[in-house]
Amino acid sequence: MVELELTVNGKACMLKIEPGERLIDVLRQRLGLTGTKEGCGEGECGACTVIMDGRTINSCVVLAIQAHGRDITTIEGVGNRIRPHPVQRAFVEEGAVQCGYCTPGMVLAAKALLDKNPDPSPQEIGAAMSGNLCRCTGYDKILRAVQRAAREVTGT
Amino acid sequence: MKKRGTGLGCTWYGTGYGNGFPDVSSAFVEIHDDGTAAVLTGAVDVGQGSSTVFAQIAAEELGLRPEDILVCSGDTDVTPDSGTTAATRQTYNTGNAVLKAVRQAKLRLQEFGARKFSCPSPEGIELKDGMIGVRGDPSRSMPLSELAWEARLLHGERFISASSFTAQTTAVNLENGQGAPYWPYAFGCQAAEVEVDTDTGTVRVLKIAAAHDLGRAVNLTQVEGQIAGGVAQGVGYALLEEVELAEGRIKNPAFARYLIPTALDVPEIESMIVEEPEDTGPYGAKGLGEPAMLPTIAAIINAIDAAVGVRITSLPATPEKILAALAEKQRGGSGG
Repeated sequence: MVELELTVNGKACMLKIEPGERLIDVLRQRLGLTGTKEGCGEGECGACTVIMDGRTINSCVVLAIQAHGRDITTIEGVGNRIRPHPVQRAFVEEGAVQCGYCTPGMVLAAKALLDKNPDPSPQEIGAAMSGNLCRCTGYDKILRAVQRAAREVTGT
Repeated sequence: MKKRGTGLGCTWYGTGYGNGFPDVSSAFVEIHDDGTAAVLTGAVDVGQGSSTVFAQIAAEELGLRPEDILVCSGDTDVTPDSGTTAATRQTYNTGNAVLKAVRQAKLRLQEFGARKFSCPSPEGIELKDGMIGVRGDPSRSMPLSELAWEARLLHGERFISASSFTAQTTAVNLENGQGAPYWPYAFGCQAAEVEVDTDTGTVRVLKIAAAHDLGRAVNLTQVEGQIAGGVAQGVGYALLEEVELAEGRIKNPAFARYLIPTALDVPEIESMIVEEPEDTGPYGAKGLGEPAMLPTIAAIINAIDAAVGVRITSLPATPEKILAALAEKQRGGSGG
């Protein structure tokens, strides 16, 4: 067992883990943060996206120990029903959710983009969201939702 | 060189299980004391929005808001079977079962209301904006919640119903080809504009215009979502997706080797909704799910032909196939 210290959704966490544990397993099983979904398990689909020190990562291909001393944001740290993040509100208002499995990763990808670039072009939005696969929506309403959230964030 | 072309694809599609296979949906309905209602059905909402559609249907009949309806679905312990979420059948088939069940419970409510308000017939009782009363006489009405409460506590009267709907289908006679395998049929037409790079063989789909006859759009946002989802899957089918088999095993069972469209691969999508009411559907509605992806493929293949003059006859239309066809064409062959 090794000691892991990291910040998750603003809270300092200290836990003992096996050296080979993946970040997604520590988040879901040890910390109970099951909003992060596992899709392909090989870093292709983006369902397991979380934000580490401001950058999106696929938590299924990152060892938990690589997050030592880092700051992690999962979907649970973004917003909730009562106080949704502008991206979450835009997803609801645009109807950008169908089965919902890709949604946590999509929301985090959009949040990470808007945190760095509050006024992205449609091309920049497409590129930022292209690492997250969705089989239901055809992306149309997801891209619209990110544009809507950007307008809200920048107040335009 | 990059060349552009447009193409058209059309579809007609029989919805439901078809060919005489029993196609039954069922629903239970209860109108509660607090003026809300519950719909129980086996139909599973996999994201297409069937539970929302059922809430809208019940709300429309009972004069309530969709958020007043609790839809409990897909729990085999408590919900009646409504078949699979497949065959483009839930809005039509289970929607009809929900509508029949709601109307049954509503009639009992109207009969009770007719006695309560001394109205000669239950048809004269109207449910609107959470109220129940005599049609055209606002002075003889009360909140639905009060009437349901009074009915239960003072008269032991409950408003509970169960109903089923069976789609019309007969097996096809294999001797003479006669029969009515499906009802209803869905129709659609899509136009694609593509850009083909003659140096690399890659195809970019720039725009899809999609017109679909769905009888009646119960929920417009969901209709647009179904069309966009279908178009994206059609783009994948036309250009990217291929299950490679070797001795019965899939050689590419991973997203790294079985490519599906990303946000960068989907075109601009313009949806056109054709509402030609289907007499047998709930409020004239029929299914849209599968038909939304079918014309995309033909439209894209036709657009490639229009752009560079080659006929691709096997899917997906990969850059390799397009370059081979272009080379063949240059050599004076027939292409494809």
